[in-house]
Amino acid sequence: MIERTLQIENKLGLHVRPAAKFVELASQFESDVTLIKDNLEVNGKSIMGVLMLEAEFGTEIILRVEGEDETLSAEALSDFLKGKIDEEFI
Amino acid sequence: MSEGKPQHEFITVEALFTENKKRLKLSLLTKKVGFDRKITEKEIHRPGLALAGFTDLFTFHRVQVCGNTENQYLKNLTKQQRVESLKRVFHFEIPCFIVTSEEEIPPEIVEQADAGHVSVFRTPFATTKLVQLLGEYLDEKFAPQVFLHGSMVDVYGIGVLIGGRSGIGKSEVALDLIARGHQMIADDIVTVSRRAGGALIAQVNDQLRYNMEIRGLGIIDIQSMFGIRGIRKQKRLEVQVELVDWDSTEKYERLGLKEMTCKILDEAITLVRLPIYPGKNISMIVEVIALNQRLKSFGYHAAIEFEKQMNRRMTHGKSEIKPLEPFFE
Repeated sequence: MIERTLQIENKLGLHVRPAAKFVELASQFESDVTLIKDNLEVNGKSIMGVLMLEAEFGTEIILRVEGEDETLSAEALSDFLKGKIDEEFI
Repeated sequence: MSEGKPQHEFITVEALFTENKKRLKLSLLTKKVGFDRKITEKEIHRPGLALAGFTDLFTFHRVQVCGNTENQYLKNLTKQQRVESLKRVFHFEIPCFIVTSEEEIPPEIVEQADAGHVSVFRTPFATTKLVQLLGEYLDEKFAPQVFLHGSMVDVYGIGVLIGGRSGIGKSEVALDLIARGHQMIADDIVTVSRRAGGALIAQVNDQLRYNMEIRGLGIIDIQSMFGIRGIRKQKRLEVQVELVDWDSTEKYERLGLKEMTCKILDEAITLVRLPIYPGKNISMIVEVIALNQRLKSFGYHAAIEFEKQMNRRMTHGKSEIKPLEPFFE
């Protein structure tokens, strides 16, 4: 199991489009993905789940990945969250 | 994931006041003092004994309700005794005081409360009514809650949670049920809290409202599509239907004599594991599960009745048993 604490760095937060992209990316891997904000835990492969987090700019979230390809998955997902989401989705 | 945490660790006196001002018809008697004090428990306390001097087991951290008895007691004291008694009580870090008596109250209550930074509210409701109303509010605030993955639908008056692995088709089954005239509470993530008496209450999510994701289609809004008849704000959760992939090596329930249950927030509810395969009408079966649950709650258990009837026939011989009355002539 890999757990990483990340901060949402784009201005608009993890809004609808990037959330869909995140889910798409998470679903490419076998591993289970969980996102945790405060005491809310959601499935990272579910769009509605990720949207429910309402992870806005500056929010700290925990990314938990568990499964056979967890290293690859965790790497890809944290790269995505750290990347330039703002420029990609305007 | 079903141990549950309370929705709130605490609520402030300010929140209690603003959220109940109308409902409990509260008015503030003191200055705006101690509004940031925290209420951490759903229990309510009557401070009678503490006022009388016994403060050993005084649960001062609870909301204190001062009714007619306390008021009469204070009135019967001399001014000196009254000040002493109130000083002793307000010395504790009490979140707030609620006076229910319609009668005039001694001015020392407000004076001493101000000095001790305890806010005092007044309500026109009688003590029992106030305790009931305030209890409901606090019970909801401090109810342990979990977020479950699944779709929550009210089917013929039975709250059904449809669970199963990601992508198995929970939302599709829920959508089909809504189209058949049942009501959606929440999809994908269901907030469930345990209320007084052990009732599990599933609620709509504020964030997601009545939106639903259908694979290949995207996000659809049930409320605008089906209107008021397709939605519900909350519903008691009674049955969990777990959709599972059909596996020929697995044993599934054949008789229904054994009741399977699962635990959510320590409360047991009926669990039905439903294997799915193409061509099987899952939403119709969920309807039947709900109807069967209703029959059971009316005291009729089909599998048990059938077993009894079979046993009678086999022990008494077929001839002694009257043939079934025809329902339709």
